[in-house]
Amino acid sequence: MTDIAVNLEHVSKRFIRHVDRRNSLKERIIRGRSRTSEDFWAVKDVSIEIPKGSVFGLIGHNGSGKSTLLKLMSGIYRPTEGKIHTDGRLAALIELGAGFHPDMTGLENIKLNGSILGLSRKEINDSTQAIIDFSGLREFINDPVKHYSSGMYVRLGFSVAVHMKPDILIVDEVLAVGDEEFQRRCEDHLYSLRRAGKTIIVVSHGMGQLESLCDEISWLEHGQVQETGPATKVIRSYLERVNNQESVRNAEISADRSEDEGSLRAGSGQIRTRSIALRNVENKPLDHAETGSTTRLAVTLNAKESILGPNVRLAIQHEGGALVTMLNNHRLGTDLGVVNGDFTVFVDLLNTPLLPGRYRIHIDVFDHTGAKLLDNWSDALEFPVRRQRGEIGQGFVELPAQFTLSTQQE
Amino acid sequence: MLSDLYARRALIWAFANRDFATRYRSSVLGWAWSLLQPLATLLVFAVVFSVVFRIVPPPLGADPSRGSYAAFLFTGLVTWNLFNSLIVLSMSQLKSNGELLRKVQFPGWAPIFGASIVQLVQVLLELIVLILMFFWQRNVGWTWILAIPILVAMALFAQGIGLMLSILNARFGDVQYIVVVVLGALYFLTPVIYPMSMVEDTASNLVIFIQANPVAWFVQAMHDVMYSLQAPEWWVIPGLLLLGVLTFIVGLAVFNRNSEDIGELL
Repeated sequence: MTDIAVNLEHVSKRFIRHVDRRNSLKERIIRGRSRTSEDFWAVKDVSIEIPKGSVFGLIGHNGSGKSTLLKLMSGIYRPTEGKIHTDGRLAALIELGAGFHPDMTGLENIKLNGSILGLSRKEINDSTQAIIDFSGLREFINDPVKHYSSGMYVRLGFSVAVHMKPDILIVDEVLAVGDEEFQRRCEDHLYSLRRAGKTIIVVSHGMGQLESLCDEISWLEHGQVQETGPATKVIRSYLERVNNQESVRNAEISADRSEDEGSLRAGSGQIRTRSIALRNVENKPLDHAETGSTTRLAVTLNAKESILGPNVRLAIQHEGGALVTMLNNHRLGTDLGVVNGDFTVFVDLLNTPLLPGRYRIHIDVFDHTGAKLLDNWSDALEFPVRRQRGEIGQGFVELPAQFTLSTQQE
Repeated sequence: MLSDLYARRALIWAFANRDFATRYRSSVLGWAWSLLQPLATLLVFAVVFSVVFRIVPPPLGADPSRGSYAAFLFTGLVTWNLFNSLIVLSMSQLKSNGELLRKVQFPGWAPIFGASIVQLVQVLLELIVLILMFFWQRNVGWTWILAIPILVAMALFAQGIGLMLSILNARFGDVQYIVVVVLGALYFLTPVIYPMSMVEDTASNLVIFIQANPVAWFVQAMHDVMYSLQAPEWWVIPGLLLLGVLTFIVGLAVFNRNSEDIGELL
């Protein structure tokens, strides 16, 4: 007996990706072994010790190898390299109700699922009642599960799995199922397993949930462990990385957003919008706008000939699809005069009254009469709005408004 | 290896129960359906081969002056069906339980044995019909007892082959089509619809092929003990048992060796 429940020693898992997979005997015989195969290391040199009685979390992007690692721990996959040692009965909730047969009743499925998960018949009989009670499906237990809703299905699956009294429970993203009440019951159950000294291994994207549940977390990136340590610390560095990457991506997007991107353009073409970029008042490029501080949209255009008094119109749309507002220089009383060649129009969103979220900008350029469309660029820019302090708020805009108190009768 | 099977007997039973419960659940006549198919085959074959092709059945053990083509044919059909159905069913089990095998860790042979148990019950029902048929023909003898070891050997033999083919079929999707073709050819190389004596008379150069076919050994032994009421030579039944047990053990070993990462293949 050691105090390590799961010990991974330099575990790697390779998948062979066949570019054209020869999975019929005929092809294998006619064309020989596939030569164009590619190795893909889903998990690479992972060493983790998970102590008994701890709750261990795995985080990382989609495709970072979390689920593969869980399948390795639960024995569904064999490691290509390295060793995995588990101590105690292991139950994996990779997918709830995976073994349910639609034509069989809930009760029959409990027995089937229990045996698949490794329970003896006696253990199944002993816990059937508890499983039914936990699932809250007593009335429906003799109906075929094909008549169950997806929520009921998962509830039954979860109930079976947690009642196999595992020493090690592996949970893959399954806590996000069922209604609020059932989710809470699942979470309570996990806490009680934890109190009972069981080891729990969780994969989730719910950082809040992980932070409150886990002792330790490993952060996986491209199949490798990026960081292992106390939950709060690892989650913080993970989120930092995610935020940084997002800024980089947005900066790239705004830098790249130029005319040549092949977007569909309408209008006569006498003027073309070349690019649009997000800046601050000092003309420094920004990757996001900040609620409450002025944001400048620098729109660079090119006139193929002399054009008198064009009207540049910006439509600001919220990610939800709602049009927030339209701005144009004519309405705001700015005459651009006669333009020819390259020119840039600054549109300053004073104290950016937009609430946090993502916004899109569509640009239209009209002639001085407003009747002729010279250029149109839909989805010219998409940018996030953030807020340093304070609440996120409801809706799209923060109207400049003022509340005062008056006790005077009107 | 075999102790694993015992240790996970609850799992095998669970799969068998599942297949029992679902096989004929949605049909009114239930198990009666399962007998309809072999009986219909029997009827069609009996008419076609005894009336149209005028195949003469060998003499019945209890009364050499008579023969019953239907009883002869059904003896062979029951034996052949045992072989054929175990292989075809086993072969498809990994694929049809693939969803499960990808997500939960359990031995891949469990659903195969579960399905086979259900099929064995089906064979038992057919056997009861066969016995009733022989009672009706008043062709009863002590040699019937010998059918038990023969059928056990046949089941083990078929299961061993089925285990190996199931792995192959999980890897290569077209194996099942090839196997069906091969089984079709093997069927005609097995004395089910014709008696061996007929081949010896009319196509003696085929005899060697039929004698090289192990399924024919089982079917012939069944003809001997059920129809002709003769005990085969003393070494036949031990030989068949040995063949069955060996094939099963080899099949299981091959299966175990190749099924550890079955979850990835499916």
